[in-house]
Amino acid sequence: MTTTTPETARRDPRGAEPLLSVRDLTVTFKRQGEDPFVAVDGLSFDVRPGQTVGLVGESGCGKSVTSLAIMGLLPDRGNTVTGSVELDGRDLLTLSNKQMRDLRGSDIGMIFQDPLSSLNPVVPIGRQVTEVLERHKGMSRKSAKPVAREMLHKVGIPDPDRRLTEYPHQLSGGMRQRALIAMALACEPRMLIADEPTTALDVTIQAQILALLRELVEEMDTALIMITHDLGVVAGLCDEVNVLYGGRLVERGDRHPLFHDPHHPYTGGLLSSVPSLEGDAAERLNPVPGSVADNLPWTSSCAFAPRCSNAIERCREETPAAVASGDRVLRCFNPLGGQASPAESEEDRR
Amino acid sequence: MSTAATEPASDRAKGDRTRGDKGEVLVDVQDLKVHFPIKRGIIFDKVVGHVYAVDGVDLQIRRGETYGLVGESGCGKSTLGRAILHLEESTEGTVTFDGQSLTDLGGEDLRKRRRDLQMVFQDPMGSLDPRQSVESLLVEGMKAHGIVGDAEAAMPRLKQLLSDVGLPAAALKKYPHEFSGGQRQRIGIARALSVDPELIVADEPVSALDVSVQAQVINLLADLQEEYGLTYLVIAHDLAVVRHISDRVGVMYLGGIVEESDAADLYANPLHPYTRALLSAVPVPDPDVEDTREQILLSGDLPSPANPPSGCRFHTRCPWRQESRCDDERPQLRLVEIDGTTGSHKVACHYAEQIASGEIQPHDVETQTEDKPKELREAEGDEVADDIPFT
Ligand SMILES: Nc1ncnc2c1ncn2[C@@H]1O[C@H](COP(=O)(O)OP(=O)(O)OP(=O)(O)O)[C@@H](O)[C@H]1O
Ligand SMILES: Nc1ncnc2c1ncn2[C@@H]1O[C@H](COP(=O)(O)OP(=O)(O)O)[C@@H](O)[C@H]1O
Ligand code: SF4
Ligand code: SF4
Ligand SMILES: [Mg+2]
Ligand SMILES: [Mg+2]
Repeated sequence: MTTTTPETARRDPRGAEPLLSVRDLTVTFKRQGEDPFVAVDGLSFDVRPGQTVGLVGESGCGKSVTSLAIMGLLPDRGNTVTGSVELDGRDLLTLSNKQMRDLRGSDIGMIFQDPLSSLNPVVPIGRQVTEVLERHKGMSRKSAKPVAREMLHKVGIPDPDRRLTEYPHQLSGGMRQRALIAMALACEPRMLIADEPTTALDVTIQAQILALLRELVEEMDTALIMITHDLGVVAGLCDEVNVLYGGRLVERGDRHPLFHDPHHPYTGGLLSSVPSLEGDAAERLNPVPGSVADNLPWTSSCAFAPRCSNAIERCREETPAAVASGDRVLRCFNPLGGQASPAESEEDRR
Repeated sequence: MSTAATEPASDRAKGDRTRGDKGEVLVDVQDLKVHFPIKRGIIFDKVVGHVYAVDGVDLQIRRGETYGLVGESGCGKSTLGRAILHLEESTEGTVTFDGQSLTDLGGEDLRKRRRDLQMVFQDPMGSLDPRQSVESLLVEGMKAHGIVGDAEAAMPRLKQLLSDVGLPAAALKKYPHEFSGGQRQRIGIARALSVDPELIVADEPVSALDVSVQAQVINLLADLQEEYGLTYLVIAHDLAVVRHISDRVGVMYLGGIVEESDAADLYANPLHPYTRALLSAVPVPDPDVEDTREQILLSGDLPSPANPPSGCRFHTRCPWRQESRCDDERPQLRLVEIDGTTGSHKVACHYAEQIASGEIQPHDVETQTEDKPKELREAEGDEVADDIPFT
């Protein structure tokens, strides 16, 4: 059928042990003559097999830097990464470049926003998929070929035999993203990181790719980190959602409670500022005032205070701590709901 | 609905610009076509085909309304917008603005008319000269059209413009890079407003902005429309944004308009199979809706506008396609009356009525691979390799 309804009842992956544990991840960029810039600040989260964890927030909030740090793809110079990123108990931040290279493509797959720049323009699609298999699975080129063909078929590329011999520029944007997903999944990685995988695509193609991701994650029990600025994508795909602001986690929750009952004023502001497909179209939108350019430093305040409708005096004087209660994490002195956070203490900020 | 012709432009006294009545047709587009030649060869520029970017569009925009144009990448939205503003040479068809044909306007007459037709772009950074201060950006157009003599005389108007778009007067001395994306878009809007236009074509005015900032710019556009009686053509791929700001909406697919109606009606009763699929594909920021709604997943990709399918251009992906007519007869955009629609709902589908009544049910679609002529594929490959930006 051409119509689909996503299943309502999903398996709850929360019981399982985390596959990936990110603790206190902090990325600081330091350029000569400039003040150090903390792009990601003390971020912690877990991802379990079969679970999809979303990272959302506006541009510059540190989503891509987080994914690059996890995959060991930040430049060697000009930045420091602290904290830990444990995959199966092994801290990826301590691995050598070579060890990380082996891990990428085998244990961790990745998909980026712009498939054209992640594919090699002068190598046929088929070769690019077989190369991954040769390198990480030790297959011969001959035995890898049918597997590559099967992968292209699986991600919904029609006429895979022909496509195997084609170059990236001969494929449409949607087909390229599928090819990239085929490459990322060729070795059945346990962990997949997708950074805005559908942002450059049209909605009808986006729907195809999201359905594909949902299906593959389910089928292969892959742990997925989904990075996006699109709240709609998050609402449909992610089990757990992490909302970032200015490099810090400000709220975390399962998607249903988070969307229905946002506690953090930024989460609430984001949700009520987006125009909807239902309801009264003539109603005026409720924007979040200002822009990230107005942010205050986290070290002595809540960065969101200049834009926050709930801000109180304290917000400009102290840093709210991120506090967990149940599955919810919140960093706010005067939330829309839930418990107000205490100020961050010295121990919190080791 | 009023369709009375407007006074000829020559009747309008200079300086004191009279505007016609709200609701009359301001822009009238008839059978507009823009075909780009695909060239190949180094010495002999051989034309090996055409990109049928806009291929037979009829469209009326009424004074004071917002017409929203939606559709997927490459369907011809920007090209249509640019052709209406005469920024793109049209291959065939006519554009009439306020009773005057723009199609045969040239030289000085066209330059004067430009004042009435302004554009706001997607990328506020790319469309503002980084070396010009905000003041000089804003004064430029006003001087060119003889609205003000020099920057000093322009000062009161500049201050008004800035306050209109919600920027402090201190912004005048600053440069584009000193502003955030949303503020830059405000500058772009102020620049379009500076010459007191009648029509603003806004091509993806908010898609480069953060979600939290988009709403600010959408509200601003609405306020300015109210204040100055502006007419908008808003081009966007975000269906929720278009729903929110438009009075009427046209849906484009491969160079043609496949459905057009009042915004509320279009979203409540999408009649064209493509519109239905498009609406069902939009992710909604509500987990309950996401868990339960039915999606019409289209198979395959948008065919190339260089080699559009015969008959109904949507037939290669249409879940409702029928054996007869769909493959070989191009459906015209026609009024379709069905219970619950407004009577001005137009659809380009042979079977709109039967699909709405449920008489025709959707079926599986075999994904078709595109088989373009080899020369065309190679020519397109060159384009990608050279990275020619098409926006
Ligand atoms: N100057 C040009 N020469 C050749 N082809 C062009 C030119 N400008 C646009 N095209 C082609 O015309 C078609 C329509 O382009 P257009 O920019 O109007 O699409 P669009 O609907 O605005 O897409 P988007 O949503 O990506 O902006 C595309 O296939 C594009 O590649
Ligand atoms: N290589 C780099 N050097 C310096 N600053 C960087 C670098 N990469 C990213 N940043 C900065 O880090 C912040 C977070 O960036 P990023 O993670 O890319 O944001 P996003 O959430 O949009 O993906 C931004 O302010 C960005 O400018
Ligand atoms: S801490 Fe204060 S400023 Fe920050 S989000 Fe909460 S109420 Fe707003
Ligand atoms: S004319 Fe035929 S192919 Fe085209 S939209 Fe209607 S049913 Fe589908
Ligand atoms: Mg990013
Ligand atoms: Mg465009």
